[in-house]
Amino acid sequence: MRGRGAKIAGVLPLFTLFMAGAISAFEDIERLRIWPLPAEVSHGGRRMYLSGDFKLVTEGSKYEDTTGILKEGFDRMLDVVRLSHVVSGGRNSSRSGGSALLQGLHVIISSSTDELEYGADESYKLVVPSPEKPSYAHLEAKSVYGALHGLQTFSQLCHFNLKKKVIEILMTPWNITDQPRFSYRGLLIDTSRHYLPLPVIKNVIDSMTYAKLNVLHWHIVDTQSFPLEIPSYPKLWNGAYSSSQRYTFDDAAEIVNYAQRRGIHVLAEIDVPGHALSWGKGYPSLWPSKNCQEPLDVSSNFTFKVIDGILSDFSKIFKFKFVHLGGDEVNTTCWSATPRIAQWLKKHRMSEEEAYQYFVLRAQKIALSHGYETINWEETFNNFGSKLNPKTVVHNWLGTGVVERVTASGLRCIVSNQDKWYLDHIDAPWQGFYDNEPLQDIKDKKQQSLVLGGEVCMWGEHIDASDIEQTIWPRAAAAAERLWTPYAKLATNPDKVTTRLAHFRCLLNQRGVAAAPLVGGGRVVPLEPGSCLAQ
Amino acid sequence: MSPNLLLLLLLLLMFFSLSITSSLSSPSPADSPPYLWPLPAEFSFGNETLSVDPAVALIVAGHGGGSPIVRAAFERYMGMIFKHASGRASLLARIRFLRMVEYDITSLKIVVHSGSEELQLGVDESYTLMVSKKDEQSIVGAVTIEANTVYGALRGLETFSQLCAFDYLTQSVQIYKAPWYIQDKPRFQYRGLLIDTSRHYLPIDVIKQIIESMSFAKLNVLHWHIVDEQSFPLETPTYPNLWKGAYSRWERYTVEDASEIVRFAKMRGINVMPEVDVPGHAESWGTGYPDLWPSLSCREPLDVTKNFTFDVISGILADMRKIFPFELFHLGGDEVNTDCWKNTTHVKEWLQGRNFTTKDAYKYFVLRAQQIAISKNWTPVNWEETFSSFGKYLDPRTVVHNWLVSDICQKAVAKGFRCIFSNQGYWYLDHLDVPWDEVYNTEPLHGINETSHQKLVIGGEVCMWGETADTSVVLQTIWPRAAAAAERMWSTREAVSKGNITLTALPRLHYFRCLLNNRGVPAAPVDNFYARRPPSGPGSCYAQ
Repeated sequence: MRGRGAKIAGVLPLFTLFMAGAISAFEDIERLRIWPLPAEVSHGGRRMYLSGDFKLVTEGSKYEDTTGILKEGFDRMLDVVRLSHVVSGGRNSSRSGGSALLQGLHVIISSSTDELEYGADESYKLVVPSPEKPSYAHLEAKSVYGALHGLQTFSQLCHFNLKKKVIEILMTPWNITDQPRFSYRGLLIDTSRHYLPLPVIKNVIDSMTYAKLNVLHWHIVDTQSFPLEIPSYPKLWNGAYSSSQRYTFDDAAEIVNYAQRRGIHVLAEIDVPGHALSWGKGYPSLWPSKNCQEPLDVSSNFTFKVIDGILSDFSKIFKFKFVHLGGDEVNTTCWSATPRIAQWLKKHRMSEEEAYQYFVLRAQKIALSHGYETINWEETFNNFGSKLNPKTVVHNWLGTGVVERVTASGLRCIVSNQDKWYLDHIDAPWQGFYDNEPLQDIKDKKQQSLVLGGEVCMWGEHIDASDIEQTIWPRAAAAAERLWTPYAKLATNPDKVTTRLAHFRCLLNQRGVAAAPLVGGGRVVPLEPGSCLAQ
Repeated sequence: MSPNLLLLLLLLLMFFSLSITSSLSSPSPADSPPYLWPLPAEFSFGNETLSVDPAVALIVAGHGGGSPIVRAAFERYMGMIFKHASGRASLLARIRFLRMVEYDITSLKIVVHSGSEELQLGVDESYTLMVSKKDEQSIVGAVTIEANTVYGALRGLETFSQLCAFDYLTQSVQIYKAPWYIQDKPRFQYRGLLIDTSRHYLPIDVIKQIIESMSFAKLNVLHWHIVDEQSFPLETPTYPNLWKGAYSRWERYTVEDASEIVRFAKMRGINVMPEVDVPGHAESWGTGYPDLWPSLSCREPLDVTKNFTFDVISGILADMRKIFPFELFHLGGDEVNTDCWKNTTHVKEWLQGRNFTTKDAYKYFVLRAQQIAISKNWTPVNWEETFSSFGKYLDPRTVVHNWLVSDICQKAVAKGFRCIFSNQGYWYLDHLDVPWDEVYNTEPLHGINETSHQKLVIGGEVCMWGETADTSVVLQTIWPRAAAAAERMWSTREAVSKGNITLTALPRLHYFRCLLNNRGVPAAPVDNFYARRPPSGPGSCYAQ
């Protein structure tokens, strides 16, 4: 997951000019107020201003931006930069000093594609000149999605000058070379325990981009409700909480599109067979029986036909290479307790445990047949790891030591240990989110490379549209830096980054995101009056 | 209005009048929309379902129909109404088109009689809204909103948006129970919400989110408690050091920011009433001008002895007059602890020289500040302590703002003052232990029986004090409880006072809370006893 950014290093001689003395002292880095911290940063001490008609220039870029991803990203960047205050200072004001005026951002992208490919290069190089230099900032990236990260960093360099009432960048020249440490930097949302309206999901996606997270793990369905339209099996969303707490197929496509244009993958999950009671509201034959409704009936071919239909429909809208098949917390007592299934088990000489394995593996095959690689929760590995498809990614949540065992067996892994990275554990403070090292105790390079990254999980039992943002933020940001920033640059004592994280929390607030105070666990409310920066 | 139109209205009224009473006494099940909040003054409906064209056309008429305020509101509401309809719906639309099946509602006519965009206290917010199927006999367009002012039209658009529901089967927007005939106007002219940017700074985007959400509940005054003892976030060009009292450089509003907030609010028919709370809640002023403190060690209330104090007030008000066009200006005047005056030598001497008690000085301060506001063509609003301490000396134009004592409005209107109701026991949103039904059942006119007195109660206000409410929790502390007060202030007294509110109001409030969520407003669950608590477990929005 490292090193791809090296390919574009030194493309412009301009960059090399500033490379000398790039390593700053830790205290200096903390003063920079960039979150997550970039891989390499150097800066000077001069002030520059953004022109009133700050422009996007793309000459020399191989990327044509026919779908407008870059242009929209640039406009969004300017919007959030201008959100803090009304920019009323004179355009191209001579008071600002002509040469200190940045006319625009010159973006050069070397890949022409706008395909959002997992594991593709997300690196960028950002140069903001000093007042003596030409009046454009420069952003180079391999892909447009790397450029989007660069725009996020650029937005964090911009501040409002209260005297001149224009946007300024302090400490120029800047020279930033950046790339993520892990290719999978996820956030789970859960729309089964509570329905989340479309604008809420879109707000979550926007806020993810500020912290450079790149996977929205959408736990769509669970025991409680089935909100998504599945054209192949149109009664499935009868399991929604109500006729209006639903997503049409187009809504889901729109969410994927919205996320993709921000460089974010959407990982769809159906959690089988254990978390699927709501499926039976539309198709009761998926239940073992009327009074024993979970897990899905393992004995019926119809069960797998429905899974096939769902995944077939999924493949039309969820373009991410992975699909999540769940497989956690499977209580199989309903299977033995239902005579029809008990007979079926007997006939096939299967124990309950074997039926669980049979179910998961058969679902995996279906997913593979639709072109997906599968992700499963760790119980599948813990119970029958050697039988899992070798393309399986094991999603840790329960315990420690799993990541080590998974990677030792050659499978890939995503880290979400619940004691540190479950956002619904509201007594878990941000320091624990920051401290949680995915490669803990994994020394072998090969094994390390099998850890794709990590994910913070916003389970929805107590989360609805009213409290999701403040339960996610700012703690998810602490994990985001762990997943983005080079290991060597991470603080060994999280408290050392408190000021910078507080600043990022206030930046989220300024951008309309309801990020909670830092002091305490998750979703804390301020205890008394005070500055955002101090709470 | 043409005679034909009038006749048709009468017919509609007669035809559907029966359904009014039944709708109030027995609301339909929770998942049978539409539910309106706040309840209109008069309405009737039928049993047809009409489809709404995503490309519905805006047709305007009247002197004010062409106002950009109307056009912008139309665009906003179309965005809210059609947020689901994407590719599939337009595909369906195309199929329907090929089959020559038309949408029932293809145009929205907005008639605004007055060309004035002046937004002041008492502006006419009434409107009529008619939704009916177009047929050969009908001369009425599919949807017509008629109002005297653009602000009435905005209220009508909000109601219209609440009639529209996305139907998941046809994947189109439908209006149920048509035809609708709604004639509506607010009960009180002042329907406020207080925000407090001194205890916690609220970013501009957050204030805009609050304003936008207010318009959904037809609230119409944002009472902006800008400054208090903790911080002074606003730029005041005449005294440029004042905002040194901000929490940080970052937590400030420029003059342009404040103007932008006023502009944004006006586009939604919402007045912004600024407050500088003198002399008791003003410690932060002295960070920039320490002379305003009685002494370095005793900093509140403002130094009553100095002309400079009143020069600064005058300068602030002059600066603010350029930003805030609303006729009301809030001068605070509450919780004045005058110990500092007694204990500071030069103030004590000044008091003795004038033969003033501290209470006299408090009166002197408030009245002098009132005169400054009046000289700037403002009507002063003061918290109730000013009335209870020296009511008969207050300028007769004063609007008394209740918070402390439950019968103060009763007393104030008896003396001929106007009054705003904000009883802290029920309408202080920072009191988290007041559930929605207590907010709802609080009646501003309680105990006020004479019509002439009732008229002096200009309305009420829910107060979101900021000690424990910052960006992360402010919206969910406001909503949904502010909506309960909003209906109390908008709808007729009969409608909100009769019957069992668990049946007449609760299902609609659940629905409105989910509507807020659907519009991206993080309104908290209705059913929790304590405000802004998370949902108690998995479940439907409509059941929590």
